[in-house]
Amino acid sequence: MANVLRHLPELEGMELGYIQGILKNMDDDQANLFAQVYRARRKDNQMVLILCLLGFFGFAGLHRFILGQVGLGILYIFTLGLCFIGTIVDLVNYKSLAYEYNIKVAHETLSMMSNNTNYFPNANTKTGDNA
Amino acid sequence: MKRIGKLIRTFPLELVFWIGALIGILFIDPYGAQHFTLCPLENLGFHWCPGCGLGRAMSLLTKGDIAASWSMHPLAMFAFGAIGYRIFELIRHFKTTNHYG
Repeated sequence: MANVLRHLPELEGMELGYIQGILKNMDDDQANLFAQVYRARRKDNQMVLILCLLGFFGFAGLHRFILGQVGLGILYIFTLGLCFIGTIVDLVNYKSLAYEYNIKVAHETLSMMSNNTNYFPNANTKTGDNA
Repeated sequence: MKRIGKLIRTFPLELVFWIGALIGILFIDPYGAQHFTLCPLENLGFHWCPGCGLGRAMSLLTKGDIAASWSMHPLAMFAFGAIGYRIFELIRHFKTTNHYG
């Protein structure tokens, strides 16, 4: 059982608990690989907050593009963030937006790791039982 | 106290916001000349912004007046699509985002 604080110490709040739930089924090598891939792909919620704040200067909806919600991104950018209302709601809600995206990334990473057994070269050389 | 904190953290604010927005739009009277507005820009004294008329255009669309809707704001149909898809996604991820497993 791997500890999330050892592999991904920058996580906090609900995301920390969720990733701990994923890591508790892994050994340390798997957790190390998972942490590398996940850290490279997750979005920091501060970046979402800053892009959201840009909405007050005329560039609304950049956070929606970054989080892969292209439809809403286009809608925001052409309507000045639904006349600032959407921007203000997202300003309150930015942590949930980032959290939702990161959970999706975590599941993608997990399925990628389970699809590709060659993903664990270190585990094979150390234990030698999967040859 | 802990229960309340958890309730606040897991409250689906965005889902409530989108559904509330769609319900609000159903109750707009798009033909009225002057109307109550929530728009912070309008209340600050700006009388035009790129999103002006989107709510009325969506409301006209629900009443079947497509030509008037297009002239009010051409993005109304697109807005329905984007918001509807987002609500669908939020509900689909509702269970997985709150608990692992």
